[in-house]
Amino acid sequence: MARVIAPWRLVGMAAPMAVWALHFVVVYSVQGLACVEGWNQAMVTMALLLLTVVALVAIVWLGWRAHRAAAACAGTDDADARRRRFVALVTALLAVLSVVAVVFTAIPILLLSPCA
Amino acid sequence: MTVPVDGGQRDAREPARLRTLERVWANAPGWIGQLTAVNHSTVAMRFILTGFAFLVVGGALSMFIRLQLAWPGNEVLDPRRYAQFVTLHGTTMMFLFAVPILEGFAMYLLPKMLGARDLPFPRLGAFGYWCYLFGGLFLYSSLLFDAAPDGGWFMYVPLTDATFSPGRGPDFWLIGVTFAEISAVAAAVELIVAVLITRAPGMDLRRMPLFAWAVLVTAFMIAFGFPPLILGSILLEIQRAFGFAFFDVARGGDPLLWQHLFWLFGHPEVYIIFLPAAGMVSMIVPTFARRPVVGYLWIVLALVSTGFLSFGLWVHHMFAVGIPLLALAFFSAASMAVAVPSGIQVFAWIATLWSGRPWLRLPMLHLIGFFAVFVLGGLTGVMLAFVPFDWQAHDSHFVVAHLHYVLIGGLMFPLFAGLYYWLPLASGRMPSESIGRTAFWLVFVGFNLTFLPMHLTGLMGMPRRVQDYPMEMGVQWLNLLSTAAGFAMAVGMVAILVDAALCFRHGRRASANPWQAGTLEWALPQPVPPYNFASVPEVRGRYPVWDDPAVAARSAGTDGLLGDASHGRREMLGTGLLTAAPEQVIRLSGSTWQPLVSALVIAALLACFLAKWYVAAAVLVLPLLASLLVWAWTTGDRHAAPRLAATPALALPVQYASRNAPGWWALVSALLIDGSLFASLVFAYFYLWLGTEAWPPPGMASGAGIAGWIALALLLGCWALGALSMRAVRGGRTGIAAVLLLATLVPGIGFLALHLPLVAELVGAPSRHAYASVVWTLAGFHAVHVAVAMIIAGFVAARLRCGHVDAVRPLELRVAAAFWRYTVGQGVVAWAVIHLFPEVI
Repeated sequence: MARVIAPWRLVGMAAPMAVWALHFVVVYSVQGLACVEGWNQAMVTMALLLLTVVALVAIVWLGWRAHRAAAACAGTDDADARRRRFVALVTALLAVLSVVAVVFTAIPILLLSPCA
Repeated sequence: MTVPVDGGQRDAREPARLRTLERVWANAPGWIGQLTAVNHSTVAMRFILTGFAFLVVGGALSMFIRLQLAWPGNEVLDPRRYAQFVTLHGTTMMFLFAVPILEGFAMYLLPKMLGARDLPFPRLGAFGYWCYLFGGLFLYSSLLFDAAPDGGWFMYVPLTDATFSPGRGPDFWLIGVTFAEISAVAAAVELIVAVLITRAPGMDLRRMPLFAWAVLVTAFMIAFGFPPLILGSILLEIQRAFGFAFFDVARGGDPLLWQHLFWLFGHPEVYIIFLPAAGMVSMIVPTFARRPVVGYLWIVLALVSTGFLSFGLWVHHMFAVGIPLLALAFFSAASMAVAVPSGIQVFAWIATLWSGRPWLRLPMLHLIGFFAVFVLGGLTGVMLAFVPFDWQAHDSHFVVAHLHYVLIGGLMFPLFAGLYYWLPLASGRMPSESIGRTAFWLVFVGFNLTFLPMHLTGLMGMPRRVQDYPMEMGVQWLNLLSTAAGFAMAVGMVAILVDAALCFRHGRRASANPWQAGTLEWALPQPVPPYNFASVPEVRGRYPVWDDPAVAARSAGTDGLLGDASHGRREMLGTGLLTAAPEQVIRLSGSTWQPLVSALVIAALLACFLAKWYVAAAVLVLPLLASLLVWAWTTGDRHAAPRLAATPALALPVQYASRNAPGWWALVSALLIDGSLFASLVFAYFYLWLGTEAWPPPGMASGAGIAGWIALALLLGCWALGALSMRAVRGGRTGIAAVLLLATLVPGIGFLALHLPLVAELVGAPSRHAYASVVWTLAGFHAVHVAVAMIIAGFVAARLRCGHVDAVRPLELRVAAAFWRYTVGQGVVAWAVIHLFPEVI
């Protein structure tokens, strides 16, 4: 599994944004479900925040791994290494953007009660 | 463009070889022969021409709309006609102009930029074109029957259900648009595979032209974005035709489900249109800045992240429907986040121009128009992403202004820039600067004077989609200005199209590479030969022509890769997905009637369905299957040797023997699309569940029982037999493999014979309740897959018997086995949703 999403492959490049998408869908679904089923609102907020932390940890791990892969490929003239470095750098930057996007999504959880 | 290399020493066989290439790749002669053409340049030109034709038609409709709104109390169009024209205008521009024309540009340019001879599935491209043309004609034929759809381009239910729209209008829309969408989905498969495995040797991921990145991301977005709409259209059509209950509140349905499915497509759609246009900008700006693009990596980053983020926006079209505030806030946040990558791209383009030596030629002028208009549209987009503001501006002309700024800014101006920029490639002649400049200013000024006032009329309260407004609103002068300017813009657009058409006859002859551009398409002779490159070029940088101008001469000669076509087959080179190292020789199909025949059968089938001749429609499935089987049997070159010579010194496997075969990646992309369709259906199931009190409703059940479990076991048996067949062929036992594959039909039929009666027993008729409808649709959707998997299994078994598939060339069996794996996996999910989920809640 970890090989499939290696930071120099296209699937690996998509991985941080895929975590954002997963987080988005899960948070939106849990919120919708909670309002229909009438779950405890404070618990729901906690659950949504917990999901956000899990997503952030996953993205930071992916980004850190990509950053290390990029650093490992630095300073060579070999075409293969330069290609890997390129994709790993894009992956790392996508991870940064994914963190921003997840935080963006999560801010309203802190500000609003789930079913207002 | 035959510049001699190294003092004119060229192979004496070259003229003969070029003639052979010309003969192998040429379309069949005559008008009749044109109907069989599959070459990507020919097919793409048809997409572009047809797209512009629909632009003219859709534009004419908008002129009527503007005339009606020019002054209060006008009677140019009665309310019904007005609704029809608004609906057709939006539908035409989105489905019959914007998406197809970008597909056309992508299909025309991509192989040339990637250094390829053609797209990997020429017949699929031609088939897509016929589907697009027939789908568009279907939609417009409604005018002949006085049954034009009038429910808006988004077709909201309940307005469009059988109760409130008893005529055929919505049926024309649903069937015509879905028919045309086949071309979008087919193009997605073709373009994904083209970018992944047909790049020139050496063009690894970091050297891909940015347009190719944009098209790759767009194609994936089509793969995930179009299925929700296709599913929604199918659900609405079977509700209208057979009384299913998905959107009917009285029977447990929910009209909001339609809005979710529609906008789940509808918002990514905006970026599906914008990203390829942005890709064009990223190609044109460096040429006219006369330097490589600044921030290549950042633009890739922006393209990929936009591809994802644009899927988190769909509810912002539904801010006013009564969804909890927190949910709206999620979508509001994503709507603002998506501005970040768009901003990154704009800054990268500005930086490129800033640090280059800009050259203000006609394409660049349109790009400046693009910057101005698109940035304004983006800004009003951020305004509308704020929920409180959206509640004020919703359904007003402010939104009309915003969406035209985004779409005309984000699509039309880059498109015209691209049209002028690549015109010399297709015509071999230069566009006229003087007519072009006048037309640009007409369009630019006309556009702004048409739509800028609409921000004001909208804020003053003028609603959309209403054919009149009262004098007391005080917006009549602004509307009159909009109308007058709208006509100026129309004149400008017609001038651009006429100018482009005249260029083919009267333009000044273009010199080689007239804009001094750096990417591979400009290494081609102009006009471009049907095989593009006589030898497939090798590249070592992002701008091959700037890096080494001799690439043009080398690729026009026949000494390089695939220069020898004496075998009489169309060949292209397949390269590694990440590395772009040569991996395989792909033998393509030549001109054939197959795509047209298949599309005509589908058209006949849909026409019967529309006329409510359901038996005739069902009978037409047989010729359709026959035509598709003949198609599959004659794909490529089934008699090709396992290894072919790319040059005298380099032998590569034919695609049937290659791991990264185009057919394999086509399957992967097609299953992504199908998986997205299935996921949308599962989403519909859970959405309906959330809105219903009792699930299943009284009088219906869900338990699997013994029959259900046996059915599941049989389904898993199909997987096992497929895997065993694969193992047998790898061991060289093709006879046994064929028998094992054919044997999947037994558990397959057993599954259908057990499961469908079980569903009937559990829920009864689908029209009773939304629950029954969605359960039947899930079960039926999967049953169709089982049937298709069985047909594929029978087909590949026959291919094994005939010796077209063996241990060295296992591609088709790999496809059959993988399709079974997918079908079984989908079946397990559907089975669990139908039989387990209601039991555990």
